[in-house]
Amino acid sequence: MPEKNYSEILEDVLKILERFAKPSEKISEETELVRDLELDSLQVMEIVQEVEDSFDILFPLNDISGIRTVKDFVLKIQKEANP
Amino acid sequence: MNISQTITQTENNIPLRCGNFQTLGEALDYAAKGVTGLNFYSGKGELLSTVSYHQLCNKAKTLARKLMGLGFSRGDRMALVAETDADFARFFFACQYAGLVPVPLPAAIHLGGRQAIVENLRKLIRSSGARAVMSSSSFFPFLAEAASVFNIRYIGDPGFFDEFPESDSPLQYPEPTDIAYLQYTSGSTRFPRGVVITQKAVMANLAGIIQHGLSVRTGDRCTSWLPFYHDMGLVGFLLAPMASQLSIDYLSTRDFAMRPRLWLSLISRNRSTISYSPTFGYALCERRVRPSEIEQYNLTSWRIAGTGAEPIRADILERFARLLSPAGFDSKAFVASYGMAECSLAVSFAPLDRGLETDSIDATELMKNGKAVPVDVDHPASSEIKQLVFCGRPLPGHEVEIRDEKGVALPERVCGVLHVRGPSVMNEYLNDPETTREILSPDGWLNTGDLAYMAKNQIVITGRKKDLIIVNGRNIWPQDIEYIVEQLPETRSRDAAAFSVTDEDGEDAVVLVVQCRQLDETERIRLVDILRERILEEFGIDCMIELVPPHTLPQTSSGKISRTMARTDFLRRQGEMTASQSTGN
Repeated sequence: MPEKNYSEILEDVLKILERFAKPSEKISEETELVRDLELDSLQVMEIVQEVEDSFDILFPLNDISGIRTVKDFVLKIQKEANP
Repeated sequence: MNISQTITQTENNIPLRCGNFQTLGEALDYAAKGVTGLNFYSGKGELLSTVSYHQLCNKAKTLARKLMGLGFSRGDRMALVAETDADFARFFFACQYAGLVPVPLPAAIHLGGRQAIVENLRKLIRSSGARAVMSSSSFFPFLAEAASVFNIRYIGDPGFFDEFPESDSPLQYPEPTDIAYLQYTSGSTRFPRGVVITQKAVMANLAGIIQHGLSVRTGDRCTSWLPFYHDMGLVGFLLAPMASQLSIDYLSTRDFAMRPRLWLSLISRNRSTISYSPTFGYALCERRVRPSEIEQYNLTSWRIAGTGAEPIRADILERFARLLSPAGFDSKAFVASYGMAECSLAVSFAPLDRGLETDSIDATELMKNGKAVPVDVDHPASSEIKQLVFCGRPLPGHEVEIRDEKGVALPERVCGVLHVRGPSVMNEYLNDPETTREILSPDGWLNTGDLAYMAKNQIVITGRKKDLIIVNGRNIWPQDIEYIVEQLPETRSRDAAAFSVTDEDGEDAVVLVVQCRQLDETERIRLVDILRERILEEFGIDCMIELVPPHTLPQTSSGKISRTMARTDFLRRQGEMTASQSTGN
């Protein structure tokens, strides 16, 4: 798989997140996943699954406790996808 | 590599012994003579590792000798972060042979929740007085940070403990009266309560589960994704399969939450017969399984689809059964059960091969008079019908009694507090004689705090006693009020806590605290109006509604909202408000 850069990953992540957010919610890099998108723990797991499947990575789950914003999330995916 | 050849077999080469052992160590010694064991699967559904009971027993004994060289005293506690892996099982049983008491700690991870995880672990380590702590390497940074404030000499991952030399002293098999493990499930996160379970108690419960509850037979195989830090995961799906020499296939709780369909595919692939889940697990499957995948499952082997741990919702389980019936799932496999960590795990099981059986009763009679009056479903009267699930008879050797507030035993179909007495009941809460005295009488009766009635000699749970709301002499169950909140599109389950407080006039008032993400004032007012209106409509009570930010409501360590603590927090907020008003702000 060709390496994806930050903005490409961001675009893919936003597409996934949009399906979990309310239509009125505007998602940006600074959006906080739990606080702003109001994701419960089961939705988070569903999103992680989507990310794993679409980027073909195994997400280290102990890392998710350090993720607050969309930007944190994208950076982490970038690190896992392009080691 | 052909995976199907490497998992432990279902058929054993030693006679089935159904939990009739004195201690966990003795039970593993027997299971080690056979060929069955534990199998751990990855989030991709691949076999990660396999450990037969034979290997588990040997490895646990080797590790036990290493631990015995570290200078612990008999009965010292060792805290283990309970990830779903072979190392947890190895350390748990090593403690059994080394005279140590294992304390499973939660291994739950939340998005952005690092600090909360560390603080929770710290409280549990403090409460348990652990002298050694272990976690797999993935969770180790959390554990190390949590334990850093204590003077604990032995903190490490499995490799750290494996480096120590083996001691020459003989293994320290436990006595039946020794403590088998400490279980932190039932307290709140702020005030953890360590349930002390002896070898005798857990063995009595295991024998009851294996022989009576599940009627384990040759050819049974288990599947589980339940966490080892909960009683249902630990006792139900590590200790019970071991004490009946059954092979079991594990999926971690996180992997299940991510890909619930793996649960069904694992059962299909390995022809599993016994698996359990609280209602929410069945709901999650029902929501996430793709209809196109259903045909590839084969669930005909699943003879016990157990459920418990949270209110059993017959409607949700029936939906699951309908969805999976093309894959051979039989709704007669559902087994409702009731239990708690204070009774090791199980108190009662509904009869096998019957599916869920519900009692249709008059909702108004239950609410007003605490009576479970059956209603003819085909000829309903004007009153509303409530359907509650029969949870079976108590395990042999155990007694249950429904009592009123004064402790007087109540007849059938009258609702009261469920009390249990029997060999599986805990000794005490660790270092907490006061709370222990409140719920455990000198003659051995455990006050479960749950509201229930008996009908057809079976237990029917209606709610939690300490949370019961009484308005003008009427009983109102807080979960029923909270359910109204859950129905709204703006909110989710666990977003609400209902309870009663006494107002200035000495009258009981009902308060509903709702976690609300909406910041727009007009929307907030609208939400409060809707809730007030619905509650007024349904219960005829005027409820005071407070909107609070997300994550305000306190949770117990098992993730349930604690209404008692929510009430305390609410009163504190009210007090602060009154104080600031009276100082002229």
